Amino acid sequence: MRIQATMKLFLPLFFSVLSLTSISAAPLKINGSTTVNLPVAEAAEILRTEQKMEIQVDTQGGSAGGISMLGDGLVQMGMSSKPVSEDDRSKYPKCDFRPIHIGEDAVALIVSKDVWENGVHTLNKTQLKDIYEGRVKNWKDVGGERAQRIAFFNKEPGRGTWEVFVHWLYGSPKAAPQVNFPEVGGNEETRSKVASTPGALSQLSASWADGKSVFALALVGEDGVPVPPESQNIATHKYPLSRPLFVLTNGEPSGGAKTMVDFLLGERGQALVQKHGYLPLKALHP
Amino acid sequence: MTRVLSWLLSALAIGAFGFLLCVFLFQSGPVWQSEGTRYITGVSWFYRQDVFGALSLIYGSLAVTAVALLLAGPLGLGAAVFLSEYLPQKARLALKIPLELLAGIPSVVFGLLGIALLRDWVYRTFAKFDPLSGDTLLTAGILLAVMILPTMVSLCDDALRSVSGAQRQAARALGLTRAETIWNIVLPQASRGIASAFLLSVGRALGETVAVFLVIGRQDNNLPHPWYSPAPLLEAGQTLTTKLGGAETNIAFGDPLHWAAIMGLGVLLLVLTAGATCLGTLGRRRHA
Repeated sequence: MRIQATMKLFLPLFFSVLSLTSISAAPLKINGSTTVNLPVAEAAEILRTEQKMEIQVDTQGGSAGGISMLGDGLVQMGMSSKPVSEDDRSKYPKCDFRPIHIGEDAVALIVSKDVWENGVHTLNKTQLKDIYEGRVKNWKDVGGERAQRIAFFNKEPGRGTWEVFVHWLYGSPKAAPQVNFPEVGGNEETRSKVASTPGALSQLSASWADGKSVFALALVGEDGVPVPPESQNIATHKYPLSRPLFVLTNGEPSGGAKTMVDFLLGERGQALVQKHGYLPLKALHP
Repeated sequence: MTRVLSWLLSALAIGAFGFLLCVFLFQSGPVWQSEGTRYITGVSWFYRQDVFGALSLIYGSLAVTAVALLLAGPLGLGAAVFLSEYLPQKARLALKIPLELLAGIPSVVFGLLGIALLRDWVYRTFAKFDPLSGDTLLTAGILLAVMILPTMVSLCDDALRSVSGAQRQAARALGLTRAETIWNIVLPQASRGIASAFLLSVGRALGETVAVFLVIGRQDNNLPHPWYSPAPLLEAGQTLTTKLGGAETNIAFGDPLHWAAIMGLGVLLLVLTAGATCLGTLGRRRHA
């Protein structure tokens, strides 16, 4: 009886130790952007169960943290929602940064049907700042035909969507002014609230703007040309509120990192990218 | 024996509450050090700039609770009087069972109903005050009123039934009408129970999170100017519970000051609910 119990306890332990030493001596450590983290963390969960891999995914310091920790050799894989700059490369000369593009994140500014029908189809940066800082409260002042109050729903803190938005408007989340608006959370909530509120405006992942209940505005750049958040504009970065999503390795990916990269670029990994509201590579190069 | 046990158990209950409060107080330490009393009186909450003033959250909690009590209180008491004093026994039981079922409905279901029915109704009904959307403190208050109503009716009914029938018969024998009996005999005698019904409802309203979260709009720093202005009721707001249930709690973990500020909200919530209960108990003592 006792021997049996001991066996029951130790046999799995013995085998797990055996498999650990045979498959991977050290766990695969990943760190970086919270935006990229969503599909990667889910991929890690799948690889943990299916391949018995040991993976640690962390989001210390966001994209910048991912780049610096990979540069310092603290992790084998970084996650970043911005390209690795020349500054980064010169800061870590020993590290051969290899960004692997896994998808694209675009943020659309969406309005409710009545706003769309009121003639507001575009906004420029100044107009958006005016709205965000509360100087403009009526659609008439930003291109609407008739007077209508602007019901702005702000994405709640911590959402990547919000960060892309203020990054574009103000340079960084810390530089964004202190504002108070009703908050919305996930993509579903944002869409349904905007759809059901007259005069509504909010930020939403572009893949969720259906053009039936909510409508994505075109953004007017400095050249005065309105750019709608359509796939080719996102892919070519003509649409300003988009950013590439990367995982980074030092040199050619190998071992556990290669398994992860292959998974992310494969069909199931790309489905995860899409599931979290980002554009998969297929949509970028149709 | 019973006495010793009851003392022991009371001590245990008080100890548990004290322990909980201590944990929260300890964890919220940094924010009291950095903000002091401004944590309670401060009108702005901007976590990115490390500014933590919880006044608008306290206001939000008290405002929705007040709306809920104002609506559910008279209605609940009235319904209870009808149930207990006017309906025959069989009909009373037939109504009481579904009422208690209603009280047990999970709050998220009420929240969904609020989204489906209440938001648009508030938006259209108060259209002339030009609310930005149907997500307002008022919507949350009305929803809470609906949620606490079954509890209110059921507890008030219990309180009224606990007044002995002999009292009623004596009053009627002295020539009082049924309405006079209720007003002069039953209600005063049941007042302790009714007060406790109100307080339990306040507790539920203050602590309710999910349903309120879904219809309140979650807008920070919404305070009335001047303080008695009812205008914020038709704007989106935030309560202690919706702040705690929101996105910031996850973000705060790991940042000592921000986390302390979030735990501080827990302290405020505990103190508010405990305060309401204690006040009620004191009031009941004086009455008796």
